[in-house]
Amino acid sequence: MDEQTTAKTELLKFVPKPDRPPIVISHGIAGWLKKHLFGGFWNTLLTIAVFTLLYLLIKPFLDWAVINAVWSAANRRECMTVSPDGACWAGVIRWFNNLIYGRYPDLLQWRVNLGFGIGIIWALPLALKRLKGKLQIGVAGVVLYPFVAAYIFLGGERGDFHYLVFCLGLAYLILLYIDVALVHTRGKKLSQVFDRYLEPIFGKRSAVASFILIMALITVLCLYIFRGVELEYVSIEFWGGLFLTVIISGFSITMALPIGIMLALGRRSTMPVLRWFSIATIELVRSVPMITVLFMSVTMMPLFFPNTMDLNKLAQVIIAVCVFAGAYMAETVRGGLQSIPKGQFDAAMSIGLGYWQTMFLIILPQALRAMIPNIVTSFISLFKDTTLVSIIGLFDIMLMARNISIDKNWFGLHSEPLVAISVLFFVFCYGMSQYSQRLERKLNTSR
Amino acid sequence: MTIDMTETNNAEKAIPAVSAVEISGLNKWFDEFHVLKDIELSVSEKEIIVICGPSGSGKSTFIRCINHLETYQEGTISIFGQPLDNPKTAQGIIRDNVGMLFQSFNLFPHLTIIKNCTLGPIWLRRIPEAKAIEQSMALLDRVGIADLAEKFPGQISGGQQQRVAIARSLAMEPRIMLFDEPTSALDPEMIKEVLDVMVDLAESGMTMMCVTHEMQFAHEVADRVIFMTDGEIVEMGPPEQVLKNPKWDRTQQFLQHVLSHKS
Ligand SMILES: Nc1ncnc2c1ncn2[C@@H]1O[C@H](COP(=O)(O)OP(=O)(O)OP(=O)(O)O)[C@@H](O)[C@H]1O
Ligand SMILES: [Mg+2]
Repeated sequence: MDEQTTAKTELLKFVPKPDRPPIVISHGIAGWLKKHLFGGFWNTLLTIAVFTLLYLLIKPFLDWAVINAVWSAANRRECMTVSPDGACWAGVIRWFNNLIYGRYPDLLQWRVNLGFGIGIIWALPLALKRLKGKLQIGVAGVVLYPFVAAYIFLGGERGDFHYLVFCLGLAYLILLYIDVALVHTRGKKLSQVFDRYLEPIFGKRSAVASFILIMALITVLCLYIFRGVELEYVSIEFWGGLFLTVIISGFSITMALPIGIMLALGRRSTMPVLRWFSIATIELVRSVPMITVLFMSVTMMPLFFPNTMDLNKLAQVIIAVCVFAGAYMAETVRGGLQSIPKGQFDAAMSIGLGYWQTMFLIILPQALRAMIPNIVTSFISLFKDTTLVSIIGLFDIMLMARNISIDKNWFGLHSEPLVAISVLFFVFCYGMSQYSQRLERKLNTSR
Repeated sequence: MTIDMTETNNAEKAIPAVSAVEISGLNKWFDEFHVLKDIELSVSEKEIIVICGPSGSGKSTFIRCINHLETYQEGTISIFGQPLDNPKTAQGIIRDNVGMLFQSFNLFPHLTIIKNCTLGPIWLRRIPEAKAIEQSMALLDRVGIADLAEKFPGQISGGQQQRVAIARSLAMEPRIMLFDEPTSALDPEMIKEVLDVMVDLAESGMTMMCVTHEMQFAHEVADRVIFMTDGEIVEMGPPEQVLKNPKWDRTQQFLQHVLSHKS
């Protein structure tokens, strides 16, 4: 040991570093341009070539889409007379409402906004740092929110059970926001404020008991308040546009991960039946085009369900897309699982964690973290793939766009709606990918 | 191999009615390959056992069998008189009695140090979070790294990680600790800090089975040293006997090799 340290100090002789090069001014726009775009002959040439190409490509598009475009007109003929070489955005603007809401009645569209607004409000607290129990909020959201949204979107006579779950969902949301306010002012949730009064009765379970009691109270209140409110019935046939696209992809995006995790775990299971079932599902679904799965869901799925279960087209499509997405997700998750070293299983086992605890506390959090880019990529492609449902006659945004071109006023207006849709999709998908990058950065800095 | 040495060596220690670990007729095969051959061993409570032997002799496999991380084809292992035959109950017996340390630490990288430690107590022993944190902080303090509680495993040194791993095991309040080469992935300066904690553990009366090539540690702390070759226990006895006057040539060669490597 001592010999080594003396050897080390001998090596630490002073060796002068070479002089630094003179400082090149690289501040400001001019400096940046000079450094990155025009540094050297070839770099300059490349820059010029690329910009020329860009100009040649973008100029005609801009001419068409902006400079010569017509923004207001009564019909396509009017557009043509004003500016034959320009885009006729008037048609898209006229139909914009339908692109978003499909054929949902104009006067009731506030209900769609309300439904999605509630969804966003529900998700917002998940971003708060001081709120504990996010998993519970998330799971409650996934379970209850669809009922709340469906109640608002559909309207009509929904039956007692649906009304109850609707009120339960609203109650949860109200309690959530009371908790948010209390946590930030008093540092406690509402159920924690009351649980000491319940302790004599319920003992250790007083926290759960007080939560259930408060929920029951608010639910009853909701049941009472909304009992007279009647919403006009809007059949699923009238749902469409971006609204429908978001419903289908929202469902399949939230379900893809749980289904994928279950299939991936099944595939690694030691139980043969479970393993075969998982492998068969994954391989079968992955080797068939999505369109076929969609068609089969509409034509064949009714054969599998008893007649009494009257599934509508939308439910069939959602089930099909969920299974499809789940099978793909299973392979992504499996990749993540394989990246976890065996030592993690050993350590979890030697602490005494069981299979599910090991998976959900140790393995999956790491596996999913490693797979965030892949998972978001499949979410994005799933979101885009849902446009295929127009093929089986659901009036999603794609079919609405094509309907513009057969409207007698806007006959032949093909390109503009597609460009408009592309922009919409770009906004959504770019948003998702940005979010995933932020998430990744956040998770990476925390380790 | 007879186990009478226990008595001669630990004359001053009270010998409990049941031994902490009782292994008889243990045989294990990896397919055709016979890794463990007729292992017989009885470890009494508070005893410190050091296991050494050349690479590939089956030390890891042996110690992993005791922790139920490996299955075996023949023989029985009992922990405080409870056999691990039934896989359903084995997990519970292990959880309540045995902790294990690994060469590669195996901390959970996505959790902070304190969360690594409180995970088991909260989820398995159902201890309220505040109390679990308090207990784990005391353990982290004992291994000398309470100030790192909020860091992630990737942010601390190997020696510190291994000490966290010790604290994490202790949080489950085991009566037996197994070590599989806990210091061999560490730099020399860090080996000492981990060994110090292990010596402290031994002095506190923990039953320990330790695969290690730290002969110094074996000399000072071990009650018995076991030498394994090719899946067999070829030598077993007090450290002076096995390390100074081994019966087998193979042991002698190995010890010379290890000792020359160390100094
Ligand atoms: N999962 C396995 N499948 C097949 N053979 C294995 C497996 N694990 C270990 N072996 C073999 O069993 C033998 C004993 O391995 P083990 O890891 O127990 O040795 P060891 O004494 O711990 O060696 P080292 O000092 O290198 O850690 C080795 O020859 C190894 O190749
Ligand atoms: Mg080993």
